[in-house]
Order: sequence, then C-alpha cells, then structure tokens
Amino acid sequence: MRVKIISIPVQHQEKALQFYTGTLGFVKKIDVPLSEDSRWLTVVSKEEQDGPEVLLEPSPKHFEPAKTYQKALFEAGIPYTQFNVDSVQQEYDRLLNLGVEFSIKPTEMGTVKIAVFNDTCGNNIQLVEML
Amino acid sequence: MTFYQSEIIRIRSICYSNKAQVQTVIGTRHYIDNNFDKELNLNLLSHIRFTSKFHLLRLFKKYYGQTPKQYLTDKRIEKAKELLIKGTSVTETCFATGFDSPSSFSTLFKYRVGLPPTEFQKRATFTKSV
Repeated sequence: MRVKIISIPVQHQEKALQFYTGTLGFVKKIDVPLSEDSRWLTVVSKEEQDGPEVLLEPSPKHFEPAKTYQKALFEAGIPYTQFNVDSVQQEYDRLLNLGVEFSIKPTEMGTVKIAVFNDTCGNNIQLVEML
Repeated sequence: MTFYQSEIIRIRSICYSNKAQVQTVIGTRHYIDNNFDKELNLNLLSHIRFTSKFHLLRLFKKYYGQTPKQYLTDKRIEKAKELLIKGTSVTETCFATGFDSPSSFSTLFKYRVGLPPTEFQKRATFTKSV
C-alpha cells in the first residue's frame, strides 16, 4: 500500500482550485469531470510534483454530515490538514500580502513553528516548519 | 480565543516549558543537518551539546519522536535521492551522504525507497526526459 492522496473537503471546487494554485502555488495535476458539478480534482506541490496529491473534494456540498463536521472544525479553529514549509515567517508574509487571513500568526511550539490560515473553502490549514 | 488557540497554549506549557531541553534537541538536529555526510555518533553529538549520550538520546526521541540515528538515516536517504536525481553516480552518492559502503547503501536505500539506487536513478532520468 502507498500513500498517494490526501483529501481536503471544499465548498466550491473551482474556487478551491483558484486558491490552491493561484494563491498557495500548487499545480493542478488531475482534473476529471464526474458529474455536472463535480470533478476528481487534485493538485500537487510545485517543488514535489511526484509527491502526494491533494484531492479537493466536494463532500460538504453533497453530504450533510461532512458539511457539519467541516463547519465544527472551522469554528473551533482546528486545522485538519497541514503543509510543510521551509520558513513559516516567509510564507506568512507572502500570503498576508495576497490577502490571506490567519487565525494563528507564526508561533513557536517547541521544536516546530506553526501558523494557521483560512483557505476560503471552509478549512483552516496549518503551516509547519521544523526547527 | 478559539478552542485550537487555547489548546496550543495548554499543550505548549505541558510539553515545551523546558526551554533548555528544546534548545538542546534543536541544536542537535541542526548539527545533524549540517554534518550528515560525516561520521556521526551519539558520543560526538552529546559532546557538542554537553550532555550525556543517553540523556541526549532520550531527549531527542521525546521531542522529535525519532532517535537521532533514525533522523540521520532519513536525512541521508533524502539527500541521496536528490543527488541521484541530479545524475550523481551511486558510489559517489553513497560517500557524499555519509554511508560506509555502496553495498550497505544500496540495501538500505532499497529497503527505504522501494527501489535500488540504480533503478531509482533510471526512473528519475526517464521521468525528466519525458
């Protein structure tokens, strides 16, 4: 067994694609239409295009419990997904300039530095730098 | 304050209140990062941070969830992949990443990556040229 995909539930796939590629800097990898308003849509890290894919999946739109769970996590400020960066401070500065909202500014937590931002699709995402 | 923010504060005070210990393990990790190509052992690492070697081993494992040796091996494999992708020969990669012999390097590489270094390099070159 291999780990190839992690899923992020998003409220609007097209909007998510714009944010994850345009703002965060991921690259679109797979885009397969599945029904009128849903796609199998994955993006990958620009530096690691053979690495794991992030599946931007439309579950909150189609499955009520998914929507409820996403909302509860969001309101509690909990990031369900995290990405590793070389410098949390640099990414924070870059994303802040692009208008991204942070609920946690760069913060040291022992051996890591973290920050949490709003992905505009219903999720908190955590950035992590190993110290 | 969100639930997550209060949890961060709570967990930080439980796990990371000993700043000296945190600095010791961070310093050790940086030393490994900068010297992964040399012969490294616990004696040397503990000398550098003025700790006993078993204390350092326990601390590193406590804060990073891995022993220094496991971390060092991960680092070396990661660097070996980078070199192989750039086209460096297997023997050269082996010594440049601090391994002792090409045969033990190849065995470990295959165990960790799923492919022997030569095969990994072939596939990487193929992917690049497509």
